[in-house]
Amino acid sequence: MNNMDIDHDLNNLLEIEEDEEDEILLSPATLVKIIEEAWLNEKFSPEILPNKQEYVDLLLGQLAAMDDNLENASDRDIKKGVHQLEVDRLKFLVCSYLRTRLEKIETYIEHILKQENERIEKGEEMYLTDAEFNFANNFKEGVDKHFDNLMGIHPTMPISWKNQIVQPNINSFVFAKSKADIESILIDEGNDDETVYVNKDSQIIISYNSVSNLVKNGDVQLI
Amino acid sequence: MSLQLSYSPNYFSIDDILATQERIPCKFSVNVPKLGILNPSSDEKDLKAGTELELPLWLVQGLSTGRQPAVVPELPNVYKEGYREILKADACAVDLHKFNLYYYEFGSYVRNFDRKNNVADILLHTFTTRFRHLMDLADNTFQDPNSIQKLDMLERKLFKEANEAKIKMNAWLKNSEAPIETAAMVMNHRKRKRVNVE
Amino acid sequence: MALRYSNCRNVWRKALELIKELDRCTGTLPPYNSDLVSEVNNEIKHLIESNLEDARLDEENRSSGDVSLLPTIICRHSAIARNFRCLLAYHYNRLRCIRTMRWEFGGILPPDIKENLSQLELEWFSKYSNSLAQYMRSVGEEGINLTVNLKPPKSVHIEVRCLVDYGKYEMNNGTIVFLKKNTRHFLPRLECEELIRQGVFEHVVS
Repeated sequence: MNNMDIDHDLNNLLEIEEDEEDEILLSPATLVKIIEEAWLNEKFSPEILPNKQEYVDLLLGQLAAMDDNLENASDRDIKKGVHQLEVDRLKFLVCSYLRTRLEKIETYIEHILKQENERIEKGEEMYLTDAEFNFANNFKEGVDKHFDNLMGIHPTMPISWKNQIVQPNINSFVFAKSKADIESILIDEGNDDETVYVNKDSQIIISYNSVSNLVKNGDVQLI
Repeated sequence: MSLQLSYSPNYFSIDDILATQERIPCKFSVNVPKLGILNPSSDEKDLKAGTELELPLWLVQGLSTGRQPAVVPELPNVYKEGYREILKADACAVDLHKFNLYYYEFGSYVRNFDRKNNVADILLHTFTTRFRHLMDLADNTFQDPNSIQKLDMLERKLFKEANEAKIKMNAWLKNSEAPIETAAMVMNHRKRKRVNVE
Repeated sequence: MALRYSNCRNVWRKALELIKELDRCTGTLPPYNSDLVSEVNNEIKHLIESNLEDARLDEENRSSGDVSLLPTIICRHSAIARNFRCLLAYHYNRLRCIRTMRWEFGGILPPDIKENLSQLELEWFSKYSNSLAQYMRSVGEEGINLTVNLKPPKSVHIEVRCLVDYGKYEMNNGTIVFLKKNTRHFLPRLECEELIRQGVFEHVVS
């Protein structure tokens, strides 16, 4: 999906409001590229990544506008089919991205909520969006209630299920591509503290743990 | 679920529960009062020191540790030297499924009872040697059921994933379209219904 | 090689049967086995009671340096933990399956599937279904349905074969199509996806 030709009659430029005075201009093609990269990263990283809500919202807004335009377009317009397909593709992209995040939230629910609550305590930026955080809390509540109901019949049970946390395996290996020259990636942390130098655009197979920060700051793209 | 989980057995993992049910030969070093019921060849109330039994791994884990271990575990036969030699000679020819259903998973627990690290070495050797063979197997559209039969559960999973990926890849190369499919559970639901009707 | 070790007797194995039941039926949800669940619960209860009793005895014995009950207690404790783990894993994996059903069948389950769920599981399903719907509504300005758009599209229209006598179906643009078993249609992909997922249509790929 590299030829992302977003309907140009609609909007040539989007605006993201970062700060009141500091506005960044974003072309539709860049926006789509950002979402594509986020989608791939989310798909291949074992843990949940910081959310891209502002971009997702922007793209969804665009899609809604394009949907409206398509509805008004004549069925005989040959361009309509092409545009419809483009819209459908972008919808798939966004849906797949959001679905992957939900699946991770459900699978690693305790782990993710614990991390998020620590982030809140430290005043750090949260990885989940408000809606995801809300969903996560509802999900946890449902599971907790279910197990409490089941296990409540053993009040003297010497074991608790609450400390059984399912964690992602952050040492699993990933395919990655560097988007910049990277001075040193630490591999095999703890043992030899060996580092490697990675050229821009080179592809590597590496333990996710070694590149997790680089994925989050955008220097490395998972493929 | 489409989420690709890397291999990491968790508390709720069905495979891990099944693997930890595999048995380990143990000799009791102390009397265990009231639990004579564990020994099928005796009707005594207590389990006597010196009794030799094969116990499931999950039980051995609690009993073989601590200051005064109640049992002394031994390596299961398939992880002993004789079998290790067979794997060293030609790992690919071995029917690993017959050795143990969960050869690797069970083995990664068993290696804790082996101070010389021989088990860890043979696990790694066996896996890396057989992996190439496994990928060749998955790459073939024609599948020899005999070869698949010889895979342990972990290998079977890998095989299934690799093979499905290969089939999808071929379909995509042919049509470059991913067909929309009936949801898996809906499909199974329907199959079952059909069976019930017939 | 002579068998020196005999198998220990098959005690404390009921809970494992629950797990094996799930292992045998991947992709479907077997009926909730409430009988076996309550048998396992009883076994857990007995083990806990025996251990509490022996723990008291053990404490008394210890004053005279006697720790002979300790291995018994450890054994039973392992069995409690094991039973507990199997029981939790049974319910946990069932929930995972039930959540997938929400994605595949939608918010309303077919009656014969519903029968396989326990009362608690039905409650969990409806709560899950609601939180998912709530989440999907809150995405973007207008909400988004995440249970469609599962595959990257290649064309706007696709060919489908109707698998059941569905009857009249009204499309988004108001056109009404009559869906009869074994008829073929060339329709907008968006209209078809949910019907394919639900098994009404089959996607014909040439």
